[in-house]
Amino acid sequence: MTNLSYVSVRKTFGPTVALEGLDLDVKPGELISLLGPSGCGKTTALRIAAGFEFADSGAVLVSNADITRTPAHKRNMGMVFQSYSLFPNLTVANNVDFGLRTRKMGSAERHKRVAEMLELVQLTHLADRYPHQISGGQAQRVALARALAVQPSVLLLDEPLSALDAKVRTTLRDEIRRIQTELGITTLFVTHDQEEALAISDRIGVMSNGRLEQLGTPRDVYRHPSSAFVARFVGSMNELPATVVGNHAVNVGGHPVVVGQTTQDDGTSVRLLVRPEDMKVVDDGGLHGTVTTCTFQGSSTILGVRLDVVDVLTSVHVAGIADLNPGERVQVEIDGSRAVCESMS
Amino acid sequence: MDPTFQNPVAPLPLDPEVGLRPTAPTGLAPAGVGRPRRRFARVVPNLVIIVSAVFFLAPLLTLARFSLQNVPTILLGWNTLFDKWSLSGLTKAFDDPNFWPALKLSLQLAVGTVLLTLGLLLPTAIWTHLRVPKARSVIEFMTVLPYMIPAIALVAGIKIIQPHARWFLNSDFSLIPFYVILALPFTYRSLDAGLKAIDLRTLVDASRSLGAGWGSTVFRVVIPNLRTAIISASFLTAAVVIGEFTIADTLLKETLPRFQATFTGREPQGGYGLNLLALIVTIGLFVTLSVLTKKRDPKRKSFARLAANAAMTPGNPGS
Repeated sequence: MTNLSYVSVRKTFGPTVALEGLDLDVKPGELISLLGPSGCGKTTALRIAAGFEFADSGAVLVSNADITRTPAHKRNMGMVFQSYSLFPNLTVANNVDFGLRTRKMGSAERHKRVAEMLELVQLTHLADRYPHQISGGQAQRVALARALAVQPSVLLLDEPLSALDAKVRTTLRDEIRRIQTELGITTLFVTHDQEEALAISDRIGVMSNGRLEQLGTPRDVYRHPSSAFVARFVGSMNELPATVVGNHAVNVGGHPVVVGQTTQDDGTSVRLLVRPEDMKVVDDGGLHGTVTTCTFQGSSTILGVRLDVVDVLTSVHVAGIADLNPGERVQVEIDGSRAVCESMS
Repeated sequence: MDPTFQNPVAPLPLDPEVGLRPTAPTGLAPAGVGRPRRRFARVVPNLVIIVSAVFFLAPLLTLARFSLQNVPTILLGWNTLFDKWSLSGLTKAFDDPNFWPALKLSLQLAVGTVLLTLGLLLPTAIWTHLRVPKARSVIEFMTVLPYMIPAIALVAGIKIIQPHARWFLNSDFSLIPFYVILALPFTYRSLDAGLKAIDLRTLVDASRSLGAGWGSTVFRVVIPNLRTAIISASFLTAAVVIGEFTIADTLLKETLPRFQATFTGREPQGGYGLNLLALIVTIGLFVTLSVLTKKRDPKRKSFARLAANAAMTPGNPGS
């Protein structure tokens, strides 16, 4: 089992800083997702691990061996790309075999390994097909089999699901996780899809402007975001204008709300970031508002509520079917224990 | 529920007047409408094909009659259409002692030019696409220069350097670098189009991540996926070489076009017959190669089958 470490890795492209002192340790057998918006540096981090880019400073270690300057073809990394990367001139089986031939493995062993890998991704029946004869989801499964066939020390996944439709994406996401767990392979997964990251990861690293904003379990990142950026990027957030009234309380339109911790001084105007599921419709004692939309989502309903006192449109999750219609008056209670206070500047 | 809500998939309401549901629009025009337009649309492409065929074939047929019929030109008409067809003009060309050496030299030059062109342009095009994509427009412009600057300008340049580079220009193969330049506009474009058609960066990255070095990546991944572009580039280059006269004549090299020019002066019928034959052979080769390039290597399939069979083997842990 292998671990992958970034030690103060910095990378620039001309005047643009792609990575600014990235420190990250992917433990053996762990799956870490790097999550962030486009241009935050997550793909650069992955490409540096793969050896397609070299860090300006800092080091990349695999099992404590420095591979910072090792060329890509000598790193023994398996990589699955965002775009379909199968070699169009080779059949599915030959694609999986490519890395094994490169390693000059014996013919019988290669056949056996290819068969095992195709079995693993359940595509044995497509061994004879060419890439243009299979679907996008199947192509990515072949790419995964090809990457795993060489028994890489680390598996790198560069948004492998983003080109797929929603249903295939969910299925393949689960399949990647199953295979990763089954093989116990150390994996770095890059995505901009928070749902994907939350579902698949042991830990999530949220990145912004080349920096790692927060690293934690999906639950931690979602429930206890370390910054307003993380709070906004992971999941949806209601933003309410408020005033700090102590270490653990803010005032929202004259309505006191208990919060986890405030770092601002009393009287400071802040933006209170609250998750929709931390706001609930109550019979009495909440902030008054008017229902503007009511979206039924099967297991839950999302209400759009315009709050009277702060004149802000908020989103409220209600479990099951909410018997409410647009225009109806409601009261909303805020659970601020997991809310984030951001100074208004 | 909103009382004004209407289910978009509910059946249309009954018409109270007749008790029938109104017919939904089908998007089809009533019968008869648009027929003349459709007929016109069918006729026009056929007409274009026929006119083009006449445009290309008529000169070839007249050339064939001139070179392969032993009838005085003045008498060539409908009434002599089937008279005295003969290959004697062509056989005269084949019997000429200078023909075969000229053909051999032209073919050697073609092969040499193709190899040098691919050797220079393929790595350049790949490198440009991968590392300096911004330089693509500059290289494209440079490769078009031979198209804009006439061959005679190149010849003038050769005349200037001739006294200083006789050791090089004395060789028949000294034509190769000049032909590489002449073929640049066609070959680079063909390779560039081929590279644009594949996701080169991802394929190269994938290959390298699987342990292949640059050489292996180029020969096992890039070149096989540029097969059509490489074949087109090679044929265009060969066509340029086999048809080039100006530079060969300046450097006094006995290539096929130069032989054709002198032979046509002596034996017009045989000379034009030779031109016609060259054209037919070239077309035939192009067609054959385009068919051949579509064929897949059967060995690959057999490997795939072996792998599939291995998966079915009872002792296999994966099965």
